[in-house]
Amino acid sequence: MTKLRVLDGVDLAVRPGEFISIVGRSGSGKSTLLNLIGGLDTPDSGSITVDGHDVAGAHPRALALHRRRTVGMVFQSFNLITTRTALENVTLALAFGEFPRAKRRERAASLLASVGLAERLDHRPGELSGGEAQRVAVARALANDPVILLADEPTGNLDSATSREIIALLHELNQEHGLTVLMVTHDHEGAREVSDRVLTLLDGRVVDEEVLTA
Amino acid sequence: MRLSDVSRLALENLWRTRLRTVLTTLGVIIGIGALVSMVSFGSGIQHNIASEFRELELFTSIQVLPGDIDISDPIASGMQAMGGDVEILDDDTLEALRAIPGVRLAYPEVSFPARLTLDEGEAQTTVRALPVGLGEYKPFSGLPYGRFFEADDEAAVVISQNLLEDMGIRLTDVPEPTRRAREDTTETYQMLHSSEVLGRTLELRTSVVDAGELMRSVARLQVPTGELPIREELTELTIVGILERTGGFSGFGFGGRAIVPSGTADAIPRLAVSSVWDLLGGGGGESGYSSVNVRVTSMKDLDAAREQIEAMGLATVTIADHLEDVRSAFVIMDALLGAVGTIALFVAGLGIANTMVTSILERTREIGVMKAIGGGEWDIRRIFLVEAAVIGLMGGVLGLVLGWLVTRLANVIANAYIRPYGVEPTDLFHMPLWLIVGALGFSVVVSLLAGIYPAARAARVDPVRALRHD
Repeated sequence: MTKLRVLDGVDLAVRPGEFISIVGRSGSGKSTLLNLIGGLDTPDSGSITVDGHDVAGAHPRALALHRRRTVGMVFQSFNLITTRTALENVTLALAFGEFPRAKRRERAASLLASVGLAERLDHRPGELSGGEAQRVAVARALANDPVILLADEPTGNLDSATSREIIALLHELNQEHGLTVLMVTHDHEGAREVSDRVLTLLDGRVVDEEVLTA
Repeated sequence: MRLSDVSRLALENLWRTRLRTVLTTLGVIIGIGALVSMVSFGSGIQHNIASEFRELELFTSIQVLPGDIDISDPIASGMQAMGGDVEILDDDTLEALRAIPGVRLAYPEVSFPARLTLDEGEAQTTVRALPVGLGEYKPFSGLPYGRFFEADDEAAVVISQNLLEDMGIRLTDVPEPTRRAREDTTETYQMLHSSEVLGRTLELRTSVVDAGELMRSVARLQVPTGELPIREELTELTIVGILERTGGFSGFGFGGRAIVPSGTADAIPRLAVSSVWDLLGGGGGESGYSSVNVRVTSMKDLDAAREQIEAMGLATVTIADHLEDVRSAFVIMDALLGAVGTIALFVAGLGIANTMVTSILERTREIGVMKAIGGGEWDIRRIFLVEAAVIGLMGGVLGLVLGWLVTRLANVIANAYIRPYGVEPTDLFHMPLWLIVGALGFSVVVSLLAGIYPAARAARVDPVRALRHD
């Protein structure tokens, strides 16, 4: 089996509070970059440091802690547990984070309220619209107070109106709460509206970097 | 993740696939049920033997044998006995034994074959001679009918119900004599009330060598038939007591079928030789008795008395030794019974492994999600292990219930089946605490073992691939 070089010579520094978008064609390595930073995948070489911790060569146990405490991830296909309600999806993340059980429900409810789902706590993913499901995923990603939110095409499965709502939600989290956001998207225009920087990836390399900070 | 959270997740998962959980657990229930009922049958038999021994107060009895007899090697011991350099059992020994503190009775083992007749009923049996003092001990202390001997030279006999039946007599509670054919056998019994048997005369016939005839034969230098001239001697004895039927496990040679007082037995003419042992130099008289039975006052006197007897250069055997022999004989049976249940449980374990692997395939994406939101391999592994353990625990508890129900049912059926044969209702099964705790522990351990591979596999799920999975 020949090894496929998905990412090659990517050098990226993210400052706290930045909103960075990564655009590029399918197969350009965007998702892989996000999975590496999120600790779901491990690189063959190179280094990744998040919040002072080395992620690239970390032990699986350290990677689990990294995913639990340091990063929050949002996916194109939501990746909610379909048998659990919105509230239970968030409390599960809190349980992994060893958040005190007595306060989990309260915290999950307030997180869901903050993404506009105060009325949908006890609905299962199947009973929610795509936009609502993605909001649950955002609330879940924020459960354990991550230093960075990694969003992998969060609007990929949504219509354009809902997409704008989700982008606006991420923008609001970035602006009002100072959350660092790293988003992979196809929507170059939408990304330009909210991002500090937009990077373009092609065949595993950064081929363009737009700095948009006003 | 805390164990309480892990357990909650595991229980939720089991509940979500409840039909599959129930079916998988059913396998464990059947396995544990089989194991428990089988082992409790084996245990019940041992328990019954031990309690019967205890009930008969046999733990107060010591059998004394001449010299350092090794009961596991009777031939070598016999040779040794013939060598004559061993301590023999004679009347002096008896006196010495009786002088040991705690010893209540010491009497030689005497038994001889005889032909017994009562009315037209006849039976060939071994008659035992026992001292009057034994009337203080079970089963003679509380005979169901009549009484034990009052004097060592009383012309009396105590017989067992089994012997009566051999002579065609069954006891009935109905006072008037009736004759009726039993439906389940072709034999016909005479049904008699105990009062019609007690006080009757039992004819006891023993064989003796006719010394006079023998001498005459020798004098004529001929032995006409090639056989020893043997004639029968008749002794008439009054039936004073009837022993309980010796069913079940008490047929270990204690009690016996026909018992006469020691003094009376001495006066009954009979062949001196009644066993090979006697030929080898046992028997009464100069060469001593083959064995002497000692009864101590209570169980706690047993060990001290035994030590003293052995210090006299004599060999001893106690019922506890016999019980050990019986136990070791049952070990194989228990192992076989246990093996059947264990196999059933291992099959159930395979069922658990199968269910868990299927569950992983279905939950791959969910496992990926759990990893993405911070679940470690250890957390995922524990969730699956707890699921397996819960199946094992539930299966264990319900399996114990099933096993118990099966043993109760089997007991009722078995007792109903043996009751017509006059056997007292007994509990054939015994479920000791070690079996209950052991079965539960075994069930959980087997289930955990079955869960190890699926759990490790679940823990190794690659989150990137799992999240792409649909």
